[in-house]
Amino acid sequence: MGLELIFWLVICFPFNVAFLASAFYQVLVLSDLEADFVNPYDASSRINYFIVPEFIGQGLLCALCLFTGHWIMFLLTVPVTCYHAMLYMRRQHLIDVTEVFRVLNAEKKFRIAKLAYYLTIIIITVFRLVLMGVYYLDSEDE
Amino acid sequence: MGTENPARPTFPSRPAVTPFSSTGPVAGSEPPSYRPTPAAPPPAATPFSSAGPAAARPGFRPAPPARFNDPSVAPPPRASTPGGPYQQFPAAPFPPTTQQQRGPIMGQASQAPPFPTSLPAQPQMPFVPMGSPPPQSAAPPHLGSNAPPPTFQPTFPGYPNKPPGAEMQPPPMHSNFPPNQGNYGPVPPAAPSPFMSHQGGYAPAPPMAPPVGMQPPASVPPMGAVQALAEDFNALTMQTRPGTMDPLFDPKELPRPLEGDVEPKILVDMYPMNCSPRYLRLTTSAVPSSQSLASRWHLPLGAVVCPLAEPPDGEEVPIVNFAPASVVRCRRCRTYVNPYMTFTEAGRKFRCNVCTLLNDVPSEYYAQLDASGKRVDINQRPELTKGTVEFVAPAEYMVRAPMPPVYFFLIDVSISAVRSGMIEVVANTIKSCLDELPGFPRTQIGFATFDSTIHFYNMKSSLTQPQMLVVSDLDDIFIPLPDDLLVNLSESRSVVETFLDSLPTMFQDNVNLESAFGPALKSAFMVMSQLGGKLLIFQNSLPSLGVGRLRLRGDDSRVYGTDKEHGLRLPEDPFYKQMAAEFSKYQISTNVYAFSDKYTDIASLGTLAKYTAGQVYYYPAFQSAIHGEKLRHELRRDLTRETAWEAVMRIRCAKGVRFTTYHGNFMLRSTDLLALPAVDCDKAFAMQLSLEETLLTTQTMYFQVALLYTASCGERRIRVHTMAVPVVTELADIYRLADTGAIVSLLSRLAIEKSLSQKLEDARTGVQLRIVKALREYRNLYAVQHRLANRMIYPESLKFLMLYGLALCRSTALRGGYGDVPLDERCAAGHIIMTVSIKRLLKLLYPSLIRLDEYLLKASVQADDLKSIERRLPLTGESLDSRGLYIYDDGFRCIIWFGRVISPDIAKNLLGADFAAELSKTTLGEHDNEMSRRLMRVLEKLRNTDRAYYQLSHLVRQGEQPKEGFLLLGNLVEDQMGGNSGYAEWMLQISRQVQQS
Repeated sequence: MGLELIFWLVICFPFNVAFLASAFYQVLVLSDLEADFVNPYDASSRINYFIVPEFIGQGLLCALCLFTGHWIMFLLTVPVTCYHAMLYMRRQHLIDVTEVFRVLNAEKKFRIAKLAYYLTIIIITVFRLVLMGVYYLDSEDE
Repeated sequence: MGTENPARPTFPSRPAVTPFSSTGPVAGSEPPSYRPTPAAPPPAATPFSSAGPAAARPGFRPAPPARFNDPSVAPPPRASTPGGPYQQFPAAPFPPTTQQQRGPIMGQASQAPPFPTSLPAQPQMPFVPMGSPPPQSAAPPHLGSNAPPPTFQPTFPGYPNKPPGAEMQPPPMHSNFPPNQGNYGPVPPAAPSPFMSHQGGYAPAPPMAPPVGMQPPASVPPMGAVQALAEDFNALTMQTRPGTMDPLFDPKELPRPLEGDVEPKILVDMYPMNCSPRYLRLTTSAVPSSQSLASRWHLPLGAVVCPLAEPPDGEEVPIVNFAPASVVRCRRCRTYVNPYMTFTEAGRKFRCNVCTLLNDVPSEYYAQLDASGKRVDINQRPELTKGTVEFVAPAEYMVRAPMPPVYFFLIDVSISAVRSGMIEVVANTIKSCLDELPGFPRTQIGFATFDSTIHFYNMKSSLTQPQMLVVSDLDDIFIPLPDDLLVNLSESRSVVETFLDSLPTMFQDNVNLESAFGPALKSAFMVMSQLGGKLLIFQNSLPSLGVGRLRLRGDDSRVYGTDKEHGLRLPEDPFYKQMAAEFSKYQISTNVYAFSDKYTDIASLGTLAKYTAGQVYYYPAFQSAIHGEKLRHELRRDLTRETAWEAVMRIRCAKGVRFTTYHGNFMLRSTDLLALPAVDCDKAFAMQLSLEETLLTTQTMYFQVALLYTASCGERRIRVHTMAVPVVTELADIYRLADTGAIVSLLSRLAIEKSLSQKLEDARTGVQLRIVKALREYRNLYAVQHRLANRMIYPESLKFLMLYGLALCRSTALRGGYGDVPLDERCAAGHIIMTVSIKRLLKLLYPSLIRLDEYLLKASVQADDLKSIERRLPLTGESLDSRGLYIYDDGFRCIIWFGRVISPDIAKNLLGADFAAELSKTTLGEHDNEMSRRLMRVLEKLRNTDRAYYQLSHLVRQGEQPKEGFLLLGNLVEDQMGGNSGYAEWMLQISRQVQQS
């Protein structure tokens, strides 16, 4: 039971919070760019800074879910991992500063969708976390 | 029509001088036409930033306009009609009403009213190809069973039977008729296609039938009726050739733009204070009033801007200096003061025409109003009377001190460059231009050369000889000297000249094959990043060393037709895009000159020019003996034309409309701000607009292009072009005011962009589909009233659109597939299309073909006789006579075609003694005889009409294959060639697809 709790509390939860924060930040930068608060150079370098770490983290989490046998979590994360891998292979993962205004709307939609997705994952995580915590406390009591 | 509609809300922002303003400004009614700019208050130093968040917008909305039928939008007098006598039938469909109102049209009596077949009242001649008999004589034999009854039967489905003898019955009707007929009389009877070849139930009507049927129904108010009926369309009738069943268009009838580009004159008449169309052209000189209307206009809706277009001789853009005051602008929408702003309250306030805000007039700018509400000083203020002005920008429009003109040359000196002779031509040309570089005495200049190493030149003014510094570490680029690589030209003039003299000999024994282009580019960037400026790259081989090296991607035939095809036309290495972005950030503009006979990956190199407002010049297989002259002229033009430095451009428009996409060579710095490190008169930019509001309540839309730049003299200036266009509620008006040139320009830029993400085939289909959709929508406008079977109808304004669409699909950039055009040439052609102005593009798409031998053989020639050679011929093989000498000029090259049985006299005089020799080895030079001099004069004249590019002449003899094929025959866009359809077939395809709806 302890391991399970560690997985949800120490790995899954902070990871997902970080993804959520990163996605939120990216959306924020993109809307700033749209409103002309930042220039495209700063905006794309700020966003691009987070993209590869996010992809790696997301891939790691997915692999971890597989190896620890969390099938539902694995199935939830694997499509996104595949999509990330595809973007990376095609070299389309970074924001292109020269074309950023042309792709602005699409990128924003993509990131908002990702935001929603990470939010869903985090709700599941919190739910499982609480569940695990309650079980754990229960077993402590007995 | 001449009356003002009283129900229409008056237009507060309109100045009293516009044709519209019959009433003065109405206080309190503020149409919410202002568009809030989302930007926060930016640092004062950033130019062009919009002022902070806007105030709440007024709640009052004026009632939507009832109908836009000012006299000023009525169809204007038509320009002279090109083409054959029966090719077009503009305007005046209903002679009684329209001709009364539009006087100028009366002059064009030869136009027949384009009338439906079902109308018995109408003489049908115009739709009949050449063979149509004059109405007085030969019509009856062909009438057959389909002949309409001679008496009037109203056949308009939608029109109620109208009481005859209404007040609309026009007295001049009968007086109008005879002249019309008179014009039909001389129709040449020698027609190739007999009249009976018409398909379907189409027959000419008895010519003298009473014209009652043309009357608009009485239930429609006269003004509306006139407008609805004043629409004109042109039509082509399909026929069948005897012996075949396939319907065809008569090639002689097809419209051809033999007059070249015609700038729209409509707006100039309506709004005389607009800027000239050479600066700003809209695809249709009207803005649709609602989104639903805009969605029915299937062609691109947008503008083509050429902010620095060369004004004709004697005309200058007035320069206005507001000092010590700042530039007068609306404080909310930041629109610059323009002729459409109205001054009120005794001259103390002005109302912005774009957002209708009432601004205070700065005290320095105050002037009293005269009795008519005009400022008393209006004649001294060009910004209040002219659509194009330049303001001197005060310090708040500068981020830094205005930069001097900077030219940095990066020259390939590897063995291929040496062998082609490029270095010599470049060095000599630069040297000859040193006196004419703009911005003396501030101009700065620098050089670097590269092969497998990078060579810098210290040109410090105290030296007598330039010092060469070699950097061979390509992985860690550094600059050997902090300054003196970029020097002031006037101070170091002698060093620069010494360098340019020695440059060709310095490397003449170089055997280095490699090209460290990427590292050289980086080092040039380091040298220039302090100031910015213009970087001219002369590249002769594929970059092979260091960062940014490219591989022979090959022009693999197997890739064509697959989803990977477009990848060949995209930059391979992200390095080039990154560099381009950095260049743009530091105000460096890159012009790429490429010379190789092998693959040099123009797709990658061109990226540098694309995002830095540069230009790509491509001279495949450059040999200085042949192409030297072209390079010399184009480089000279590049160096000496007036250039605007560190520029940004924005186009503003009133609320409700927004520019969404931009197409051309620039980089977007924010959603609507184009960063142009260096821009000149040869660059044009296109943009598309979309409607943000479902319904526009204003009646006039204003566009204002503002280009903030540093002039070569070091003054910061703002060039402002203002244009007013009507907002219209009828689709027919949008079609009537369409501008084919601007549409073609936008369409081709869109197609080129599409070819970068999709297959060529898709890009071509896209063009065709858009034309089909537009014509289908147009057809639907008239299909109800008129029977249109077997006829293809199109608006007068778009009569050349189909041909240009075909020419675009057959242009170098889009034609065919793998084998048709080498990849580099295709990419270079794409770059040209993305930058050139409308006029040049149209010339490139439909070049001129002129017969010369008659002119050359003429006994005596006066100076003005050059006009006689301006008669352009249709671009078809049938125009070529094997006894003649023709010149084909697309603005980028001239092809001189010698017929097979041309008189030996001409050939001998023009080519010299070796006239029978192989023409590919012969170059055209002046010989000592009158004929040769005349030809040179003609070429000179053609080149002088447009100096942006130099037309190198190629000689070709009839039947000299394959040279004749790819130089000339393949470019005759009206002929069927290979897998490409000819003009008639293309029209047929479009016509079929239009009717398939």
